[in-house]
Amino acid sequence: MRPDPGRVLMGLTSKLALTVAADCRTPFGQTTAGHAAALTMVLAQEVDRLPERLYRETEAVSAILEDALPLLDRTLAARVRETLANRTSPDLRISSLQAANDAVRAVLVDVHAAVEALDSAAARAMNERIWDELRESTRRRHVVMA
Amino acid sequence: MEEVIANYLRPRLGADTVRVSHLLRIPGGASRETWMFKAAWDAGQGRQAQEFILRKDPPASLLDTDRETEYAYYASFFGSAVPVPRMRWLEPDGGVLGGPFFIMERIGGCEAQPAALMEPRFEPVRPTIARRMYELLAEIATFDWTATDIARVADAPSPDRCWSRELGHWERIIDENELSPQPIVRAAIRWLRANPPPPPARIAVVHGDYRVGNFLYTAEGEIRGVLDWEMAHLGDPMEDLAWSFNESWQWLNDGRPGGITTVEEACATWSAGSGLAVDGDALRWWRTFCDVKCQGIWLTGTKTFHDGRSDELILPVISYRLVNAQDEALLRSLGRGA
Repeated sequence: MRPDPGRVLMGLTSKLALTVAADCRTPFGQTTAGHAAALTMVLAQEVDRLPERLYRETEAVSAILEDALPLLDRTLAARVRETLANRTSPDLRISSLQAANDAVRAVLVDVHAAVEALDSAAARAMNERIWDELRESTRRRHVVMA
Repeated sequence: MEEVIANYLRPRLGADTVRVSHLLRIPGGASRETWMFKAAWDAGQGRQAQEFILRKDPPASLLDTDRETEYAYYASFFGSAVPVPRMRWLEPDGGVLGGPFFIMERIGGCEAQPAALMEPRFEPVRPTIARRMYELLAEIATFDWTATDIARVADAPSPDRCWSRELGHWERIIDENELSPQPIVRAAIRWLRANPPPPPARIAVVHGDYRVGNFLYTAEGEIRGVLDWEMAHLGDPMEDLAWSFNESWQWLNDGRPGGITTVEEACATWSAGSGLAVDGDALRWWRTFCDVKCQGIWLTGTKTFHDGRSDELILPVISYRLVNAQDEALLRSLGRGA
């Protein structure tokens, strides 16, 4: 698509914030136009990078899950293996990439709880690694919003 | 809508005719639609006029709360040391206006928006407003609710169950509303369960959303109305104090609650007014809990919009602006920040 969707969305942001909002007759209308501008600004930032972010994060979490396997009981380990075996997205649609990301992060929640309950150097190291990933996950999701 | 409201008011005001004008939806109010209007009518004492606020349940919103409970808290505090608008009518029938609603008298001549309070014109009275804010919170914490309508609509937990009841409530909301797994908030919930706070000295009214943005203030430094009681409940008064400190309403992003005071000053004012001590461990627990509660609210709004139950654009704005920010705040609360 040309112009790039991100550029179109930035143009929309500008029109909504500077033109439409000013023409609205009520405070509620002005606020709603402002919300629309804020949303298009976020979408402009995310439209290009979202698939990349989802894919990279799914890979990063999968690597953690794989390395955590020796620490887990049989039931949880089996669930991790099954999730990892099915983690590859069938296509590159954002909805498919999001589903794959959700699947590994759901297992990460349980692996994190299991690792926290263990008292060993390996478990403590894995716990720190999971926290590092969670910190990184918030950085990946940063958006600028007016 | 003006005519429907006029017809609704006519028998309730004992008037032959009621004229409704200046109907305006007020921005904000992400959980209930808030409308302002003026009514004029003839009754026994001649021509009368009054400005009102109408709060109507939307089909779906940021929160799903009981309007009868909110009404009872407003009504119970009316005439007390905590100023609230006078409630007039509660209408549970959604057929009148497309959703249940209540109507209260409007308190005029005030500001409500946090942005206005940050303007230079309010600088001289900001310390006064900050002090009043925490004096009034102390009044809420020590309010005798036992002989009021609150006792009818609210369950009082035992002191040792305050924390677990609230945490369980908000964990259920997160369970029901998360669209994607939330590893950070789940880790926080585990920490909260493993490190419970001490029980409170008293079971108090908890406003539930006490912060800069939910009271009406004047240029003279008065607070004339405490609003938005939709999350009010009985519990540990420390919850309100912690909620007022949450990063989501540190409007100047400078670590100061509401952008108008410091945690230390707020605690000192609240303690002096309530006679209650601020336990550091309890405050830390409740501050972390409040991050979880905030996330529960943001995730509820996210799902409401995602499912198509509301097209209010404030809901995705909140999702995009606050869900990740709340995760970052949780990391800091848990000592895991960058």
